[in-house]
Amino acid sequence: MAQSTGNLVDQIAQLNAARTLVLGDSAFYPQIVNGVLPIIGARSRLELRRWGAEFLAETFSSPALAPAQKEQLAATALQTLRETLELPEKDTVTLKHIVEAAASLYPLVFRHIINHPEDSTVWENMTAIKDDILRRWDTSPFSVKVCCIKFVQRVVQVQTHGLTDPRRPEQNETSLAIVPRNHSLLSLPYLEAEASGLLDRLLSVFQEDASDPLLVNATLNSLAILIRTRQSIGNKIINAILSFVPARQARTPVTPAVRVGVKSMERTARALMINIMKRNPSHPLASKMQQHIERLMQSRIETVDDSSKKRGLPIEPTDGLDNSKRAKLDAESPPLIKVSPLPPGPVSYSQLYTLTDDTGLSSFDVKQLPVDLLVKIVVPVLARVDQSVLQQAVDGVRMRYQTLQKQQAAQPPPATGEEEDDDYEPEYQPMDVAEPAAEQEDALSAEPVDLQPDLVSLGPFVLPQPPPLSENEAAEIGRSAVGRVFDMLASSGVAPNTGKGKGQQHLGFSRLAGSTFDRDAWVTLLTRLATRAPAGLEVDNKKNDQDPSSKRSTISDSIRETLYRYILEDFRGRVNVGIMWLNEEWYNDRIQMKFTASQRAEEDEESSVPLHYDQWSLRLLDGFLPYLDSRDTKIFIRFLSEIPEVTIPITKRVASLAKDPERVNLCIQSLLYLIMFRPPAREMCLNAVEDVYQTYEESRPAAGKVLARWRPQSTAVQQAQPEQQSTLVSRTVESENNTPVANGA
Amino acid sequence: MAYGPRLASAGTATPDPPPPPPPPPESAMAAPTETESSDGTAAAPIQEQQSDSYKLRFCTVCASNQNRSMEAHLRLSTAPSPFPVISFGTGSLVRLPGPSITQPNVYNFNTTSYSQMYEELFSKDERLYRNNGLLNMLERNRNLKWGPERFQDWVPGMPRVDHVSKGDKGALGTEGGVVDVIITCEERCWDAVVDDLMNKGSLLNRPVHVFNVDIKDNHEEALVGGKAILELANRLNEAAVQERKANNPEGWENGTGEARRSFDEKVPEILAAWQEKWPNLPALWTLAWL
Repeated sequence: MAQSTGNLVDQIAQLNAARTLVLGDSAFYPQIVNGVLPIIGARSRLELRRWGAEFLAETFSSPALAPAQKEQLAATALQTLRETLELPEKDTVTLKHIVEAAASLYPLVFRHIINHPEDSTVWENMTAIKDDILRRWDTSPFSVKVCCIKFVQRVVQVQTHGLTDPRRPEQNETSLAIVPRNHSLLSLPYLEAEASGLLDRLLSVFQEDASDPLLVNATLNSLAILIRTRQSIGNKIINAILSFVPARQARTPVTPAVRVGVKSMERTARALMINIMKRNPSHPLASKMQQHIERLMQSRIETVDDSSKKRGLPIEPTDGLDNSKRAKLDAESPPLIKVSPLPPGPVSYSQLYTLTDDTGLSSFDVKQLPVDLLVKIVVPVLARVDQSVLQQAVDGVRMRYQTLQKQQAAQPPPATGEEEDDDYEPEYQPMDVAEPAAEQEDALSAEPVDLQPDLVSLGPFVLPQPPPLSENEAAEIGRSAVGRVFDMLASSGVAPNTGKGKGQQHLGFSRLAGSTFDRDAWVTLLTRLATRAPAGLEVDNKKNDQDPSSKRSTISDSIRETLYRYILEDFRGRVNVGIMWLNEEWYNDRIQMKFTASQRAEEDEESSVPLHYDQWSLRLLDGFLPYLDSRDTKIFIRFLSEIPEVTIPITKRVASLAKDPERVNLCIQSLLYLIMFRPPAREMCLNAVEDVYQTYEESRPAAGKVLARWRPQSTAVQQAQPEQQSTLVSRTVESENNTPVANGA
Repeated sequence: MAYGPRLASAGTATPDPPPPPPPPPESAMAAPTETESSDGTAAAPIQEQQSDSYKLRFCTVCASNQNRSMEAHLRLSTAPSPFPVISFGTGSLVRLPGPSITQPNVYNFNTTSYSQMYEELFSKDERLYRNNGLLNMLERNRNLKWGPERFQDWVPGMPRVDHVSKGDKGALGTEGGVVDVIITCEERCWDAVVDDLMNKGSLLNRPVHVFNVDIKDNHEEALVGGKAILELANRLNEAAVQERKANNPEGWENGTGEARRSFDEKVPEILAAWQEKWPNLPALWTLAWL
């Protein structure tokens, strides 16, 4: 026994010496690994197996050993590892290291098999090890389980599609993407399906009711690279994490150990999500992750964590070593911006402001770049400009400028003539230009003539008055301006009705006329321009020259004319424009009358106000009446009901509709509406109906009803009542004769 | 200042000009190298010691690899039964207080030695840096290892044999460039370490327990924290040794039930028990991958 232990100690010491050798120079690895493998095999003592497993795990993960060499060593090492594993190995420490080694070997072997499909024994060993590990996953002690998680993460990483760069196939990461479709050993669908299943098993730790913090943390910490490098499964993983609430794992009683566990899971989940978001701030799930982080914090505070209550406010650091404080202070630490002095002699503005010494950079013309690209660059750059650097840069330029000023002050200004005035173009010099700017220009310009002091002190410049416009010219210009506003109407008023309805709904009573810049706004503008703007001017005109209407074509009338035509162009669609306009006219008439009345009281003389409402309402009515047909009832009724005042001439015009038997109903219904809902106009409308009743035979049934209801005392109806039956018959006969007469009349 | 006496003891244990590896008697057990092959006859006791002398490998981390991580480094590497230990900082630069709060002394990681910093500060203002403890701290640090190292620049698994030959304290056992436990001294550093390990892609497939022990960044708290970290290390190591013994077929009957539970599994409980004793050093843990 003593012999064997002594022997063992010797062996371990030798092995350690060998390890020190390879750590010092990785070139010895092939030799040492091959030498060591027989000693640490399945049949050796526990200490040797432990040592060997750890050594192999270290070897195949070492960043000092090139992957190609690891690949070469893998075949023999796999055989040993498999034998040890199938012993079956029971020592957790050995097992743990074997699984670690397997996790490092898997991508290496996978890559080797892609390129060497003939090495089927190597793949068989690897697969056997993989299957063995997966079998042990659930039943092993936690130390081994944790490593199984990592192993599975590696398998998933290898057996999913990664990004590939066809230009540099050697650099591509090992993944399904580099497996040829027709590989004899590696079947793509099978491997992919296996990975998918393993990933589900890996993520199941987040769904279980009672997961151990150790396993959860081990999983969370291994997932970052999968999310980062495997687009196809990234969102699935993140969603699994989002559904995981560590606080739910807190079982009663909440022992301190449970508290440690919950807090650790919460913080690890948070660290993972922050890691993802830092790498990809525009991640589609970023906002969800942010919310989840906040929720985690909240739930932790509520449920298990009372440590936050234990600790009082943080005490101010005694020696200013705290980083959050330091960040503001290190104005000294970054190298100062080097502001090179300006070259002697005259300098240009660009030289003054150029702080970089890089000739390529300073000769680069930014104007070559498209504006939108520049905006994309400049805005983020401006957002993170370092205050102190900016300050230094500004100071640097200021220093240069002051130096220049001093130099120039020292030089006496050379006397020169004024003949080069032309260059200066003083007309366009704004008179309130800042004094320093003028100085600067003087001081910096290479032209010595500009130093002339009296040039700087030019007096204010006033633009000459334009030649007076003749009245015709003014009117012409006015008309073209109006024409342009109508163009605006045409371009902005595509869907007038719906647009108007919506606008009104949104704005309600607080609406300001003409504030929305849609068609209505322009119409309001035009109608007021026509009605209010020239108010008062016309009065004078009329007074001074009552004579012929040579002067009648004022700007407002031309606007009215244009509005009139505009409305008639599409009466059905623009009836609201007409209503609005007529309302403005009526309102303006009232205001004018009121104003003139108040004026007259003082002056005590006769005066007249030009009234537009009656004139234009009749004109408009006359304009579209011929085009109304029986289907326009609604539009026509709307017009009649919304214009501000119904006058007898208007009712006469409406009544005239009854001339056309087709429009009798339109006529009677419009009048009936006015009778019912416009009491001030009721009498005149009834008169009109009576008139219609008597004049046009065809209107009798409809008009008779209205009269019977609203004016039962009407003599016309009373006469008609008894012979109603007969007229019905006679009218059908007469109608053919009557109609042409009615139309002609 | 406060650690003056302890510093002196550390100084005596290791003479300041670091000569080729000075193997103190206890380190022979820690890492059985050539020294052991010479006395192979002392079989039985050695075997017992060997399992007993199993040591977890540690890594301590703070912001600048100066105060807290180095205090812990000192503690772990000079314990009665010393641990293999390496240490890092997670900051972008090594920052030390300067004459005023706005004038810190800033150095690069990996390329500036503690000695250089010591000389520089010494020549700048000896009195100031003596009084605020910086020179003492650098003195301690330069006796432990060459200079501050940045965690993000560490390549796990890259052999660190040269650190052994340079005489870095705690270097024995870390030749392989791997550790079993990382202990940070501030949550920000823990976050940085966990994040960086994810970025590194866990190429070694090797589990590593990452702890945070929140220590305020001053000399006094660093002393307390170092002590607490050593205790945590001892507790963890005890569990790890037990695992190796219990699963040893020769010691099949040595442990049952609780004792047979693996080391990794016990970590939350160990930390919870430790936290009860050190309630003012809030701790955090996860299992990450190197």
